[in-house]
Amino acid sequence: MANYIVPNDLRYTKTHEWAKDLGGNKFRVGITDYAAKHIGDVTYVELPHIDDELDKDEPGCVIETVKSSEDVYNSIGGTVVLENGDILNENPEIINSDPYGEGWLYEIKAKSADDFKALMSRAEYEKLLEELGD
Amino acid sequence: MNKTPLFDTHRDLGATIGDFGGWSMPLWYKTGQLKEHIATREACGIFDICHMGEFIVTGKDTLAFWNRLLSNAITAMVDGQAMYNFMLNEEGGVVDDCILYRFNADYWMLVVNAGTQDGDYAWLKKHQSGDVKIENIGPATGKLDLQGPTAPKVVAKLAGKEKLADLKFFRFIPEIVIGGVKCLLSRTGYTGEVGFEIYCPIDETKKLWDALMTAGAEFGITPAGLGARDTLRLEAGLPLHGHEIGPTLPAVGTPWEFAINYDHEFIGKSALLANKGKHFVYPVIVEGRRKPGSHAHAIVGGKECGEVTSDILAVSLDKKPAGFIRTTCELKSGDALTLKNAQGAEFAAKVMDNPLWKGTSRKKMDSFL
Repeated sequence: MANYIVPNDLRYTKTHEWAKDLGGNKFRVGITDYAAKHIGDVTYVELPHIDDELDKDEPGCVIETVKSSEDVYNSIGGTVVLENGDILNENPEIINSDPYGEGWLYEIKAKSADDFKALMSRAEYEKLLEELGD
Repeated sequence: MNKTPLFDTHRDLGATIGDFGGWSMPLWYKTGQLKEHIATREACGIFDICHMGEFIVTGKDTLAFWNRLLSNAITAMVDGQAMYNFMLNEEGGVVDDCILYRFNADYWMLVVNAGTQDGDYAWLKKHQSGDVKIENIGPATGKLDLQGPTAPKVVAKLAGKEKLADLKFFRFIPEIVIGGVKCLLSRTGYTGEVGFEIYCPIDETKKLWDALMTAGAEFGITPAGLGARDTLRLEAGLPLHGHEIGPTLPAVGTPWEFAINYDHEFIGKSALLANKGKHFVYPVIVEGRRKPGSHAHAIVGGKECGEVTSDILAVSLDKKPAGFIRTTCELKSGDALTLKNAQGAEFAAKVMDNPLWKGTSRKKMDSFL
């Protein structure tokens, strides 16, 4: 089995996004190391705009790779308060090399903390990766 | 899922593995597809292509057999020449696209795609007649592609410069020892750059890979996966079977008409003639940074007239989204069109000349040595 980085302080979705609790009902989101390794080199990211209202499970942004276009699903309903365009517009491939760090996508002010709590823990996400068998 | 002898090697190199034509193959390595693409354009990429199929066909009626089954001007081939061909069905669709190697008048090799090889073998056997013997050497044959401007230096270091100096595009050396492995060295490829397709006994593939990797270190050799192979071939203006060409698509009106010679009788010829002016394939560049998606509709002058068959990036052309379209209307280079995907998003695109990228493939060999 290949080794993927799964940090302990994040929560995860079945579709390989992560979310980090920043306090004050604010959350930072991105895609996981597993996703970053499977989609191939990222060439462009279409981010949401600040003040966009995003529902839970609707596409929050689009990641273009050499081969395909990937929707990234928004796991926490709320309002976008920050996006990482300063880094990602210049250097989109940072998502491949540092998906939990500089390759974050946007921050969202949640309507309720329940969406975050409903996401998978590290152990649950690791179990999912094991089931994927790769 | 089939595995090549290099599967563990790819894993050790951090490859992301994907399924291709029933084979577990490296899509890209830790380096990433973009760097592998650029390394092949600027230095040298090494590709594991063991999944492709090879048949040896012998006997005094072989030339007649090929003339019936294949589309190109085979009668004009000389010993030591390779030639790109379509193998067509009665409807003019492409059973497979392949490279035919002539060793001598009675001894030939046909190299075919991975996912189609079983069907190809059945097709060859079905049409076998007279003194024609067909042997499937695919399972016994390894294949490594070494592509890019420093590829000749890598091979020369292992096999000697003088052996390569006169090797022209689409010519091959039937027997040459590279790194202690007896190989067939063919100056062909799928990238648009100078380079080789190298065939060896399957159980010596790892030995050949290691020898090339060691010799190539000083020349920037980079393992490259099927992802880079796809972006390289797209820019080089070459089709991928199942996309631009396939069994249900008459092989007319494409940039690969050069592989069809109408001066001989072959299966599919009458269907091709009947379909002339009805089907076309063109390379396109898409405006912006987003890709429309495979099978997006092509709309010209408000009318739908085709679809996207390959939808990837022209990495060497500022990473612009690019691809091929199949249409039922005739277009010319520079024509504007709209591509509309399943979600209804529209993209402005432009018909281009084929190929998008003119590489080093046809340059004189001695300029690389």
